[in-house]
Amino acid sequence: MTEPVLTVTSLVKRFGPVVAVDEVSFELMPGACLGIVGESGSGKTTIARVLAGLERPTSGTVTLAGEVVRDHSRRARRWRARQLQMIFQDPYGSFDPRQSIARSIAEPLRLHRPGARERHRARVEELLDQVGLDARAGAALPRELSGGQRQRAAIARALAIEPRVLVLDEAVAALDVSIQAQILTLLDDLRRGTGIAYVFVSHDLAVVRHVTDTAIVMRHGRVVERGETGRILRSPQHPYTRLLLDSIPAPGWDLDRVARDRRALDPHPAHGESSCSTSTT
Amino acid sequence: MLMDKETTARPDERDVLGISRLGLAVGSGERATPLLAGVTVRVGRGETVGLVGESGSGKSLTARTALGMLPPGARATGRVTVSGVDVLAAGRRTLRDLRRTRVSMIFQDPRASINPVRRIGDYLTEGLRARGVPARAAAGQALDLLDRVGIRDPRAAVRRYPHQFSGGMLQRVVIAGALSTEPELLLADEPTTALDVTTQAEVVGLLRNLQRDHGTGMLFVTHDLDLAAAVCDRVYVMYAGRIVEEAPGASLFAAPAHPYTKALLEASPSVHGDKAAIKAIAGRPRSLAESPSGCSFRDRCPLAGDDCAERVPAHRPHGASATACLRPEQVMP
Repeated sequence: MTEPVLTVTSLVKRFGPVVAVDEVSFELMPGACLGIVGESGSGKTTIARVLAGLERPTSGTVTLAGEVVRDHSRRARRWRARQLQMIFQDPYGSFDPRQSIARSIAEPLRLHRPGARERHRARVEELLDQVGLDARAGAALPRELSGGQRQRAAIARALAIEPRVLVLDEAVAALDVSIQAQILTLLDDLRRGTGIAYVFVSHDLAVVRHVTDTAIVMRHGRVVERGETGRILRSPQHPYTRLLLDSIPAPGWDLDRVARDRRALDPHPAHGESSCSTSTT
Repeated sequence: MLMDKETTARPDERDVLGISRLGLAVGSGERATPLLAGVTVRVGRGETVGLVGESGSGKSLTARTALGMLPPGARATGRVTVSGVDVLAAGRRTLRDLRRTRVSMIFQDPRASINPVRRIGDYLTEGLRARGVPARAAAGQALDLLDRVGIRDPRAAVRRYPHQFSGGMLQRVVIAGALSTEPELLLADEPTTALDVTTQAEVVGLLRNLQRDHGTGMLFVTHDLDLAAAVCDRVYVMYAGRIVEEAPGASLFAAPAHPYTKALLEASPSVHGDKAAIKAIAGRPRSLAESPSGCSFRDRCPLAGDDCAERVPAHRPHGASATACLRPEQVMP
């Protein structure tokens, strides 16, 4: 039997008194795609940041490619970066504005795979081609590219050192529908072609349905439902998952029911998005 | 002077918003950059009308002209009337009056449209006081408004500052402010885009109920085709500074009559029905200035032929739609 490439066990992350992530566990098989669904304050982004090593968990373990991630030494971080890369909603902030796209893509290569400049250049060309960017886009500065092109470039950079896991945090949320479809198609093709596994963090159930095989639904830091994505959407078990589904606009949208169900789920809104801080101050 | 126009408005102008053949360009002569061309949009009393498009399609620009807000240095052609007032010809005083009493606008980010260092109560009474409502009465109305948009404990809320509210709650406050003047027209520019899905449903429900109670006409600007189809009586689809299709909200999904509408539908993943493969549209959305001659969509359109380059297709009826396409019969859902 194949081993999971990523295992998260009883993960807890506290920020002061706030429990952002509460006892979350999941597994990701090689080449699979797991969705983490939730609204703001659900803890989904915190999980992504813990996976990428941007936050240290309060307790719980992350096992990556068979090794428990403990150490935060320089070497350990490099090792982790070779296994797992992250894509953000707006990659603009993660590119050096004064450096060409091609140079940015070559950076992880220089760091992780020292070698001849020629070889790097050839690999960058290959990567650009893989994500559907031409040489002109490679020579451009980040600000000269459109949002969709920048997201392609971010994907190319993440793929440069052939990680086993890609964590995508709302990676298509800021894109126009037609561009979003292009990026989703690209992600699909890449997964088929390279066997890379995705952790796909998103608030958008339609997108999650399209991309992922399994999913966890999160609310207030906890997993409220998990399973095969198609099953979750077909027959949601938890009232919150049902509320999420009912909240999606559709012909014959029953807004009053959504409002009622939401209130029923949160009778004493003392925390989270549904309450304003008027009740806490 | 300009006020005369208001009183002499033709009696048949029942629409709260009438935009006809609107063109917009910045710069002049050779260097002019066109932004909008031939945009015709109407919103009837109490009607909800959607304006849908991707970035650069000109949907926000169109909505803003209803308030007389043009980009700096822009020249407009065509006609824009709000409750019979000619907005493009209006002077500053008429515009100010219009914004104060007849038209309100809600933006995507409530934090950007509300003064962070002033209390919610001040925000809500400002518009009322400007209309001459006495201070005490205005304060009472503010409480009433907050109650109507579902804010618990309005008395405490009026004393709080914007940062003490979540995005969804603050958007309710902004809606309360927008409705305080009982406008005839509400311009909602992506009012729920920054909100969580469950919050979006509540805010949309709120907008719809309030609008129903007051008979306010609403122009609902959004990039979300599903949302527009679910909420709006009629939907205009914009592409590259032009309206390419107009259809009743209900029939937009069943029978798109423009290849762009169809492509948008096919590119959006859905949670309903069978899982269908999404089809990406090649290329990227254009602005009017960079779009090709003739039909703006023709370089991305699977149905395009040589005749599409000749001139901008006129709107023609097809099914329940009016579409700017030469071959609407070939657009199958």
